[in-house]
Formats: sequence, C-alpha cells, structure tokens
Amino acid sequence: MFEQVFFSGLALGSIYGLVALGFAVIFKATDVFNFAQGMFVVCGAYFAVTAISILQLPFPLAILFIIGAAALLGVLIHMVLIQPLSGRPMLSVIMLTIALSIALRAFIEIVFGPQGRSLATPMPTGVLMLGEVRISYLHLTAALVSWVCMAGFGLFFRFTSVGLLMRACADNHEAVVVSGVNVNTMNRLAWGIGSTLAAVGGVFLGQLQIASTELEGIGLLALPAVVIGGMQSIPGAIIGGLLVGIIEQMAATYISPKSSDIVIYVLLLLILMVRPWGLFGQRELGRV
Amino acid sequence: MNKTSKPSLSAGAWLWLLLCAAVLAYLPTLLTERAFLGMPLSNTQLLNLGLSQINLMLISMLGALSLNYLTGCAGLISIGHAAFFATGAMAAAVFDTQLGWPFPLVLLAAALAGALAGTLAGLPSLRVRGLYFVLSTLAVHYVVTYVFLEYQFKYFDVVGIPYATPRLGDWELNTPVRWYALLLPLVVLVYWGLKASLKSREGRAMLAMRDHELAATSVGVDVRILRLKAFALSSAIASVAGALFAYYLSNVTSEAFNILFAIQFIAMIIIGGMGSLSGSLVGAAIWLLLPSIIGGLSPQSSESNEFLGKLLVEHRAQLVQLIFSILVIVFLIFAPGGVAGLATSLKNAWQAWRAKP
Repeated sequence: MFEQVFFSGLALGSIYGLVALGFAVIFKATDVFNFAQGMFVVCGAYFAVTAISILQLPFPLAILFIIGAAALLGVLIHMVLIQPLSGRPMLSVIMLTIALSIALRAFIEIVFGPQGRSLATPMPTGVLMLGEVRISYLHLTAALVSWVCMAGFGLFFRFTSVGLLMRACADNHEAVVVSGVNVNTMNRLAWGIGSTLAAVGGVFLGQLQIASTELEGIGLLALPAVVIGGMQSIPGAIIGGLLVGIIEQMAATYISPKSSDIVIYVLLLLILMVRPWGLFGQRELGRV
Repeated sequence: MNKTSKPSLSAGAWLWLLLCAAVLAYLPTLLTERAFLGMPLSNTQLLNLGLSQINLMLISMLGALSLNYLTGCAGLISIGHAAFFATGAMAAAVFDTQLGWPFPLVLLAAALAGALAGTLAGLPSLRVRGLYFVLSTLAVHYVVTYVFLEYQFKYFDVVGIPYATPRLGDWELNTPVRWYALLLPLVVLVYWGLKASLKSREGRAMLAMRDHELAATSVGVDVRILRLKAFALSSAIASVAGALFAYYLSNVTSEAFNILFAIQFIAMIIIGGMGSLSGSLVGAAIWLLLPSIIGGLSPQSSESNEFLGKLLVEHRAQLVQLIFSILVIVFLIFAPGGVAGLATSLKNAWQAWRAKP
C-alpha cells in the first residue's frame, strides 16, 4: 500500500517538478512570480488536443507543434505584457500574471467549450507489476520524460554558452548588460522555456485525467513546490515538486482526499515561518 | 498644501456633496419604479441595472476599501482577502444560524472574529517580506476556505449554510430598498472613518512605512505593531462585509469564497487606483455594474451581428471575464494609477490649461 502511494506520488511529483522547474527558470531570469504557470499547463493540454484530435497530426509532428506553440506563447507574453512592466512594483506584475491566467482561461473556454476534452496520445497504456506495486505505463512515461527534460535543462544551463549567459543574467543583471548581452533576448528565452516545460507537464496531466481548465489548480501546485524547494534554486524546484507530489498522494490516502491541498499549503505556511528561503535556497540578505 | 487646521469645504465642494447625496437618495426610487420623475424608462436606458446589483456593489465597496487600505495605504499585499469574507460568513453562521444572536451583535462578533483572523494571518509579516508574505496570505486563504468547507459539511450540507433574514428590532431587512438604507450609510461611514484614520498620527506613520520601511523605523515607528493593526482593521471590515454578503445572499457555500473572489478585489483596486480610497469605490462600481451592462447589450447585438450575439448568449460569463482581465491588463500597462490616477492627471491638465494666459 505504502509503496503504491509512494510511487504514484513520485510520478505525479515528477510532473510537478517539471512545471516548477519552468516556473523557477522564469522567476530567476525575470523576477516575475508567474501565477499564469498553472494556465500554461492547461494551454499545453489544449495544444495537444488541437494537434492530435482536431488537426490529427502524426505524433512526432504533434510534439513539435505543442513545443513550438508553447514556446511561442511564452515569448509573446514576455514581449507584449511583461517587458512593458519591467521596473514596476511587485503587485502590478503579480496581478498582470493573474489577469493573464483569467484571460487565457476565458479564451480557452470560449474556443473549446467549458467542458473538458479527453486526450488520447499513442503513448503506451497499461500496467506494469513490480512485485506488489502497480505502476501504469503512463505514469512511468511521464516520470521518465520529466526526468529527461530536467536533466537536459540542467546540462543546458551548466554546459552551453547560452545557458551560461542565462545564469549570468539571473545572477547579475547590470554586469551582463555592461558586457553587451541582450538581456531581453535572454528573458524571452527563459519565458519560452518556462512555458514549454509547463506545457509538457500539461500534456501528461491532460492524458492522466482529461484536458480541462480545471488542470490549472494542479499546475498551481508548482507554486508551493517552488517555495518549499527554495525560490532561487533550480534543483530545489525539482525536489520541491517531488515532495509536493508524494505528500499530496500520502495525504489523500491516509487523511482524506479533500485534505490533500490543505496539507501542502499548511506546509508552505510552516516553511515561510521557519525557513522562508526554502530547503535549498540561499538566505537573502537585505542591504540598507 | 494641507494645513494642520481643520480643512473647510468650499462652496463648490458643498454643492457637489449635496448633489451626490440627492442622487444617492433618489436612486432606489428610480430603480424600483423604473421611472424618472414620472417618465417611464426602459431597461436599456437604466443600463439593465437593479437595486440588488447596487446593494452587492455596496458590499463589494466595503471589501475594496478594506483591501485598498491594507495594500494601497499600508503596502501589505494580500491575495487572501476572500478568507476574511469567509470568516465573517462563518461567524454569522455560528452566532446567528446556530445560536440565534441579534443582528447587530452578530456583526460585532464578525468584526471581532475578522480582527482576530487578520492578526493571525498578519503574523508571518513579522518574519517575511514582499513576495513571501503574499504567498503566506495565499496559504491562509486555502486554510480558511478548508475550515469553512469542513464546518459547512459538519453542521449543514452540500446545499450551503442558510441565513435568516436579519432584523433590527421590528425593522426587517426584507426588501432591497431597506438593504440599501442600511448599506449606503455603512459604506459612507467606513469611507470617512478610513480617510480620517489616514490623517491621524498612526495613519501617517503607516504611509511612511509603505513608502520607506527603514526610514519609518528610524524615526521611531514600530512597523511590526503597525502592520498587525492595519491587518486587523482591514480584515475586520472585510469580515463584516462577508457577514453582510452571506445575509444578503441568504445561502452561502464554501465555493463562493474561492480564489477568484479574492482576486476580484485586487482587480477593483487596480482599476480604481492603488492607495486611493475613493478610487476603490469607483473600481468596485465598475466591477459590479459592467457585467449587467454587457448583458443588457445582448438583445440588440444578436439582431445586428450573429457571431457577437451567439458569443454574448452562450459564453457570457467567459466574455465578462475576458473583458475584465483585458481591462486590468490595459490599466496596468497604460494607467498604473487607475481611475484615480487618470482623474488627477486630467485635473492637472485642466488647471495647466486654465493657467495659460
């Protein structure tokens, strides 16, 4: 029983980790706390519906379509909405992302109807038995793809020159501007990566449940994940996502299904009181 | 600018005030008889408005005022203001539906419960700043709505918590006009009260805290106590508004106080103008009245344009949300001061134009 819950939590947590990673990339690069990240997840699911059910593209093309559309969405949002607000107070930017998520939700519900759509991809279904533990292939694929994406971006930030520039941007904005790097391009790239990662998570969540705007709530669990892991830390976001997934499944099984969200948010409150910089973040020092 | 002596109103200001009072006093008659001085008006001419929308608007004005006091004036961002509405509704359920206390006492209890909840919710502000504090209010929102849900299912059922028609002595609040007569003075009272409190010593200390926390601390302002006080006052008002909201709807479920409910107040103060109390009134008015105005357009546009008509009939809720969120985005990008900021710059432009020889 325990192993069963643990593994499904781990699989869901991998998806949360992926969404949280996208969130952390955006936050590190542009200091924007993106409340629309949950809606990016929904957008990913509906891009998949568009590509697979409506346009009936072959699966590899559909993947390209989803990634391209999601990246374009992120880049456009940064160009049109985020960039004009740079240097404004925090509430303005937060409220902008909230308004954006409401607008996206309304738009999706007008175009696709308020009911959810079922999403079927040619990914393997069925159940793998590991001793007593049942693991669905879908969970397994989701976890594997999430891990590959996370590892891929880890390597990208560590070893490529663009990744290095992005990390430099996040570290010291002014120094990078002085060295002649176009910060806006880097920020756009970060938004593109962030929305793509969320969209990939959305494709899996859309297939595990159904593609509907209700997925936003699940996508928003990336927020506590990021804070628990530490907002300035990329590995922290991934581990936070895994923790949130496991804790959620445990709470749903052992306490009550209704309580799963509340346990996460109480944990968030505790972390904020005791260790606001998160498990893996660095303590921020104020300067007078 | 502002002398310390009591500011006296000019003749023009008195005239404006009288005019506003006259309009507000005539409004219920206009909207119930649907006629202006005996001249019948059509629904469209009245912008499709009814008195019940005006009453809901007045309740939202209380929420917007309290949030603007907290966010605009004290500089504490809260995205969990629905939690205090829920606290008020819960207090009303405990003290009225279950214990049967009289209405004024219930409102007082709701205010106290709100102040208590606000102080507790403000506690993280002693330790964390900025973004982290915003997140703690979000967590508080989820905790309170969960408590509300558990409470609702323990003592009531899925249908929601019922509320009796409130009465003040023999005077039963059973018509929209009577509600209007209760709510309008209350909104005016809260508005003047908050306005006066901003002029007081602590109010000014609070504005200083918002503008520069370290500078305020260095001149002897205890920002920690001040934060908790601002939070308690704001949530007490929101809680009373929540109790009134519950009474007005006469049945409330936990879904009523979702995160969108909290967000709408932020939208109101952004449209109205951050830090401007009168702006929050305007923002609440726009937020509550625009949907019915959009709804009033549907019969005409369905005749003229098939696509637009279909959109208005089938997806009205989504369309309203889309329009509102775009409105908020436009305000954020092009008019960060909201309606109040626009009014100030218009006034300045007008005075500059008049001053020209």
